Amino acid sequence: MKTDKEKVKSKILILATLSGGYLGADSAGQGNKEYAPNVYIFSVMTAAIFPPEFYIRALEKSVDAIIVMYSGSDCPYKGAAEHTAKMISQAYEMMKERGMDQRRLRLSAICTVCVDPFLEEVAQANELLDEIGPIERPVPAVTEAESVTA
Amino acid sequence: MTEPNEENKEKDVKNNSEEPITVHVDELKDAVEKEIADAGGEDIKIGVYVCQCGGNISDVVRTDLVAKELEKFPNVVVSRDFIFMCSDSGQELIKKDIQEKGINRVVVGSCSPFLHETTFRKAVSSGGLNPYLYTHVGIREQDSWVHADHPKEATELAVHLMEAGVAKARLLEPLKPTEIKAKKHALVIGGGIAGLQAALSIAKADLKVTIVEKSHFLGGRVAQWDTVFPTDEDARAVLNRVIEEVLANPNITIHTGTELIAAKGYIGEFNIRLRQQPRGVSEDFDGLDEAIKVCPVEVPDEFNFGLSKRKAIYRPYDGCVPSGAVIDWEHCTKCGECLKVGKKGSINLDETPHEFDITVGAVVVATGFDPYEPFKGEFGYGEIPEVITLPQLERILSKDGPTKGKLEVNGHPVHNIAMIHCVGSRQKEGVHKPQPDGKVNDYCSRVCCTATLSAAKQIHEHFPDTNIFDLYQDIRTYGRGHEDYYINASKNGVTFLRYFAEEIPEVTKSPEGEKNPVMVKVKDHLTWGYEVEVPVDLVVLAVGMMPTPIQDLIGMLKVSQGNDRFLLEVHPKLRPVETAIAGIVLAGTAQGPMTIREASYAGQAAASKVIAMLITGQVELEPFVAKIDPERCEGSGECVKYCPQEEAIRLETFTEDGRTFQRAVVSPANCNGCGVCVSVCPNRAINIQGWTLDQFDAMVEALAMEVSVLEDA
Ligand SMILES: Cc1cc2nc3c(=O)[nH]c(=O)nc-3n(C[C@H](O)[C@H](O)[C@H](O)COP(=O)(O)OP(=O)(O)OC[C@H]3O[C@@H](n4cnc5c(N)ncnc54)[C@H](O)[C@@H]3O)c2cc1C
Repeated sequence: MKTDKEKVKSKILILATLSGGYLGADSAGQGNKEYAPNVYIFSVMTAAIFPPEFYIRALEKSVDAIIVMYSGSDCPYKGAAEHTAKMISQAYEMMKERGMDQRRLRLSAICTVCVDPFLEEVAQANELLDEIGPIERPVPAVTEAESVTA
Repeated sequence: MTEPNEENKEKDVKNNSEEPITVHVDELKDAVEKEIADAGGEDIKIGVYVCQCGGNISDVVRTDLVAKELEKFPNVVVSRDFIFMCSDSGQELIKKDIQEKGINRVVVGSCSPFLHETTFRKAVSSGGLNPYLYTHVGIREQDSWVHADHPKEATELAVHLMEAGVAKARLLEPLKPTEIKAKKHALVIGGGIAGLQAALSIAKADLKVTIVEKSHFLGGRVAQWDTVFPTDEDARAVLNRVIEEVLANPNITIHTGTELIAAKGYIGEFNIRLRQQPRGVSEDFDGLDEAIKVCPVEVPDEFNFGLSKRKAIYRPYDGCVPSGAVIDWEHCTKCGECLKVGKKGSINLDETPHEFDITVGAVVVATGFDPYEPFKGEFGYGEIPEVITLPQLERILSKDGPTKGKLEVNGHPVHNIAMIHCVGSRQKEGVHKPQPDGKVNDYCSRVCCTATLSAAKQIHEHFPDTNIFDLYQDIRTYGRGHEDYYINASKNGVTFLRYFAEEIPEVTKSPEGEKNPVMVKVKDHLTWGYEVEVPVDLVVLAVGMMPTPIQDLIGMLKVSQGNDRFLLEVHPKLRPVETAIAGIVLAGTAQGPMTIREASYAGQAAASKVIAMLITGQVELEPFVAKIDPERCEGSGECVKYCPQEEAIRLETFTEDGRTFQRAVVSPANCNGCGVCVSVCPNRAINIQGWTLDQFDAMVEALAMEVSVLEDA
């Protein structure tokens, strides 16, 4: 088990939807539930905006694990949840090609009061990072075909 | 950039005098227009504010060091920490810096955006800046409150999060809410208590309302109940008070026997096509009793939940609204017997449905619920005649029900009753049979516990010799006055037996010759799992609620359903009646199990949303919708192909410099910002305004930076 100091070296990015994960995180905060301080939470309106290469870029650049916390089948935007899942499975393919551990990217349905599931996701991601360590950079570059950045 | 001017100075004086800050909408709009026109090529000057939250943040996070660290970042002109950023003086700081230091982007690190994002947007506005040139960073719930044991790491985390906020702020652009004209007319779908209450409140605000009710009568399920908790009032008396007001309101038009067959448009202007089934019988028909007698068709009466039969010409109960009878077109054989009685010309068996259009600014969906229908054989239902549901019991207890209020089943009097709770609610996978969609009803239907105990109370009042055995998992008499029914049942000698979902009670037919026709076996956890056998005359299944099946409507309106199939709000606490589709709101049990009281206030809450939307005839929409970058769009059409919203995005043909090409065009009123188009565009030519991919890339990049504030201190 790594110390908290070491844990801080590896970074977990949480992309949390305003209708799901972000509120789950808020609820954890309101309950003063301690978790490791290597978790960076960004609010997103919906996670459907992220193309697969976004996740790859984020892993290449700065973070060692990403958890997309959305509201799953309770997503208020029709079709967005299914689309997010599709984009993430495409990202898995790209990770596989690059030899990245696919467990570094997770999609998780977190409700507005899901404190325990939220904490569990964070704990599991940290356990994983204890096991596999931070990403060794630089990561093989994104191929032409996959890169959409103009 | 906004320079301090005389007018602003004047406002300054006023704002220093502890009076609330007021900004006129026109002033605000002018500022927005100016900002949008000025955007591009301006120097980015960012103001960073780290809130101490009176120690809530600063007891863990060194807000002074965070502010100091942020000062070093490019474009940051001012960086401060302050005791309460949300206070008047905190907001004043922002305003002053906008005016005196010329900052044109603002980043505040404080509590959750759900608490104060709007506050700070307003502060930014009142400083004369576009309110969307603002980024909110959560460093309390997401940092100080969860990292109290790690102050150093918490401080570094705050720096990182704030830096990500600054990275986003650099790429912010001024945005303008979309403004559209709105019809001052609302549509309410469903004429149950929720829909009626919604319609009434909207109409009282002097807006026009059309109620569309699928059945031929108003009132929904409440009309089927006898006495309703928590007031023990006659259900129809409660309902009629509302219906009378609805009928008397000149702003309300009612179409019964009517359903939506098409819906297009957006908030402010939904074009709705309706189809109305004819009644076939005129209101002044004077031979109804005779017509019913001569009609040869008999079908199960749905109003009595199949406990009795009705004819193909019928009305559910005396006093229903509208009061006239109707023809059941599905079952009528057009034999013509009814035409021979009563006033000539009152019945027309050749009438056909008629279709018509209306245009409304907003829609309230109040389509209600259906009681759970047990499977054949579930607790003996459908196989043992003495097993009925709670709604059926309600009809039996009703003076105009199938037994005229007598407590009997199949002509036999009833002395011993078992009432089983949670039938079709709180189900467990693997224990209960799933619905056709493969899911069990794992939710609590909330109303049934009190409804069951209320029925028990009625039985004790009218049939005091009856013994009641109440088989429950948990008693959830949660509302005001509900617990009294539980206390009352205990006092009246109701025998409570507690079962667990994994060991559901067994209901079997008693052997021939037994005194009581049904045997109920239950492992009772009030007696430490003792197996109890209860011989009874009647078993009542307290069935739960399921949403009325409205798949066609869901398809037309593009609203979402939750995992439990009830319609889904944007946010259960903060936006509890709005759907993700602007202009469409929810009311009543279409959204989840509710009592009459809750359905009433849901209807009134939905109405207040509609009133706020339509009252000025103009709607302002959040600007967080898709936007095309015309430089990058090559007309691939992927966005159009994948967009889940109808008419939100389309390809249009353009000609420029003699070149003809296709480009995507967004209809902001139809776009709900779901973001699907963003991830499928091969050219990164489309973004959700205020939430762009470039912004997220920049934020992620900011996390790569090494931060070591405490060593610097
Ligand atoms: C057995 C039982 C007993 C109860 N007793 C009590 C009680 O004592 N006290 C209490 O507070 N609550 C009680 N309730 C709850 C109460 O019935 C509900 O709170 C109430 O009916 C909810 O009203 P509503 O308008 O949401 O839905 P509903 O009453 O279901 O009305 C919905 C209306 O929408 C119409 N509709 C459906 N689909 C469409 C469509 N596509 N187009 C147009 N119209 C449509 C329906 O025909 C119906 O008229 C009881 C419930 C049950 C099951």
